[in-house]
Amino acid sequence: MGLYLRLAWRNYWRQRRRTVIVVVAIGLTMALMMFYDGFVGGFDQAIYGNAVKVLGGNIQVHANGYGAKADQTPLLPLGDDQAIVQAALAQPQVVAALRRINTGGMVSSREGAFPVSIVGVEPEGEIPVSLVAQNVVEGRYLAANDLDVVFIGRGLAEALDVAVGERITLAGRATHSQMRRRTMTVVGIYDVGMREIEKRTVYISLGEAQDLYGLGGESTEVALSLKQIGQESAVMRALKLSLPGYEIDSWETNFPELQQALATKGGVMNIFSVIMLLIVGIGILDLLLMAVYERTREIGILGALGLKPHQISLLFILEGALMGLVGVAVGVGLGLLINSFLGRVGMDYSKFANLTEYTALLGGRVYPTLGLEKLPQRALTVVIIAILASFYPARQAAQREPAEALHYV
Amino acid sequence: MMQLYKMAWRNLGRNRRRSFLSALALGMGLALLLLMAAVVAGEMRDAMESSIRLQSGHLQVRAKSYDEGKTSLAWEDLIENPAAVAAQIATLPAVRVATPRLFANGIVAAGDESVGVRIIGIDPPSEANAPFREGLVNGEFLSADDRGGILMGQTLANKLSLKAGDTINLLVNTSNGDVDEQPFVIRGIYSTHTPGYDQSTVLMPLAKAQAITQAENHASTVFVLLRDREQTDAIVAALQTSSYQINTWVQMNELLVETEQLSNAYMWLLYLIVLAITATVIVNALIMAVFERTREIGILLAMGMRGSRIMAMFFAESSLLAVGGIAMGLVLGGLLVTYATKYGFYIGSYGMTGILIGERIYAYLTLSDTITLTITALVITLVAALYPAMLAARMEPVEALHGGKGA
Repeated sequence: MGLYLRLAWRNYWRQRRRTVIVVVAIGLTMALMMFYDGFVGGFDQAIYGNAVKVLGGNIQVHANGYGAKADQTPLLPLGDDQAIVQAALAQPQVVAALRRINTGGMVSSREGAFPVSIVGVEPEGEIPVSLVAQNVVEGRYLAANDLDVVFIGRGLAEALDVAVGERITLAGRATHSQMRRRTMTVVGIYDVGMREIEKRTVYISLGEAQDLYGLGGESTEVALSLKQIGQESAVMRALKLSLPGYEIDSWETNFPELQQALATKGGVMNIFSVIMLLIVGIGILDLLLMAVYERTREIGILGALGLKPHQISLLFILEGALMGLVGVAVGVGLGLLINSFLGRVGMDYSKFANLTEYTALLGGRVYPTLGLEKLPQRALTVVIIAILASFYPARQAAQREPAEALHYV
Repeated sequence: MMQLYKMAWRNLGRNRRRSFLSALALGMGLALLLLMAAVVAGEMRDAMESSIRLQSGHLQVRAKSYDEGKTSLAWEDLIENPAAVAAQIATLPAVRVATPRLFANGIVAAGDESVGVRIIGIDPPSEANAPFREGLVNGEFLSADDRGGILMGQTLANKLSLKAGDTINLLVNTSNGDVDEQPFVIRGIYSTHTPGYDQSTVLMPLAKAQAITQAENHASTVFVLLRDREQTDAIVAALQTSSYQINTWVQMNELLVETEQLSNAYMWLLYLIVLAITATVIVNALIMAVFERTREIGILLAMGMRGSRIMAMFFAESSLLAVGGIAMGLVLGGLLVTYATKYGFYIGSYGMTGILIGERIYAYLTLSDTITLTITALVITLVAALYPAMLAARMEPVEALHGGKGA
């Protein structure tokens, strides 16, 4: 095998000019795919990273049945939430496990009305881990036994035209379809630099939420903060064992519509890249066919020396595969160059912030990643298509009669 | 000239397989681009049409101080006596329909679940409500004097497992900044095939909406559809008054227009990359042809043919390849686009409410896209042929006659 590889590698460089052109074509295709992956990766990172930072918690524990109805933020009490907190804190990576009540509602003032998600929190526990609690610009954060007060974002304060100390109407729902509304005083305003998200989330104390929604002593969510992003899956696996009967999710699973959008676009990109690679494949096929004709005598000699037809085929297939591999290498280099540049500059997406719940989390600019997420899969596709394209020329080469090929002019 | 093409044609015929494959590569590239251009154009066109039909109309007349982002219901932000205003606008000949609408925000609660919604008070008999009347999938449409009924989008109804005849609680913001709550019966369920809209919109008769929000004889907007949207500017001029703000469909869909521009810029980048990749295939095929024919080129040169003429010969070859490839691309692309125009692609819900993307995308190939892409493909192929043609033209006759320095 080593010998064939060496032969194929030498053959590979015999027609430098043509080879370089094919390699450029493969490289461009590969770089285009990496650009796309990097863009999606950056999108993902911005959304999930900001979700963890701003909305809080790398992992959420909910009661069974929550996920299917997540859009409607159902008030499903967790039962024994203290046990969940204990189990979570037993994991070494978990720095905080906080009980919350999370539901949808609406705030209104004379200026207008906005749908919001209302989060009941344990204030003293949130302060060390919550970006929102650490970015109070007016007034103060919530305190444990605050009643009748609400903590809102600057985006919402501006839209409702309210200041600290003024009152707004908050409507949410109790457990049994009746709605609850209450006029509350704005106790503080936070600013995390993302107006759309600030518009969509308000905080009250857990005690207040339990009272408002008739959930005496209970909560609907336990949010876990980890030491680092990236440890989610290990902790989730461990928790699933110690906490059967609960739904344990990270933010990755919490935006089904984003998942759908990314899956559709990813599917389109996959088809697109395969078609591009087929075009490139035609180039490889052309080139190898030409090489077979050029090397007719050589093939005759190899045959006369005793190489079996399938061994001659192997030479050409290896040459095709090498084209794929070198093309991948060139493409990865080009892709890294593009993505690291864009990763520094970022792309402006602020106009699209209010399009959906998840784009609100973009925070204006998207910084593409290096696009290495799907590299093995992309590279494999390239090499497979390169190999497929070399089958036909390889067969042509193998079918030569040694004696005739030797006399070919 | 004719002779040049005849030679080029024969030369291409000498290696039919390679010529065919090179043209096929170009054809595949062009077909792919035509399909993509058509899908993007179709998506944008549908989004604009949905928006005009469901959300923005061609024109909206609102009170000066009305802020769309806030859904204010304070009287000073609303249009007083909207039916009269609408009737007056409707007398203009270019106006197809003008109808008052009232917007409020609210929450639908059913059982243990609740969802934030936009509530629109509509004048039920108005022709502008055709998308909802025709899109009814269950139950019946609203009547103007209905005081306890709503229409709900199918996506939302499915999420909450509701059907026509069920009762829900609706919480609505009111003129004085408070909220009010009342039970309503779902009279009917509509589908506009636009999940972003259907999951977030509840309709009720204007009179009831005015009553529950305490807006009394006010509306947020007068929604206007024209007979022809080209007449927008003329109507705006005719309606210009100091007491209202007039918003055109272009202004109200600014985000969509910007999205379209942005995606067009991305698409051009993509077109150039794809065509560059196809061009490499053609360049390679021509380079091979040049080196195969080294001796031949030597003979031609020795007989006194000029370098420029040899270049022209290879250009003729590549333009024939380009024409063949483009023809294949148009046929192949035409087939793909026809399929995608007829059946579309199912994409489901992206959860978008700002831009109304339907659950299916139908392709729409414009003539200008076809022409631009065809010309771009031709130009790029010819530019790519420059290199092999130059290689051929620059050969030294004596060396070439002896087989040259090799490829």
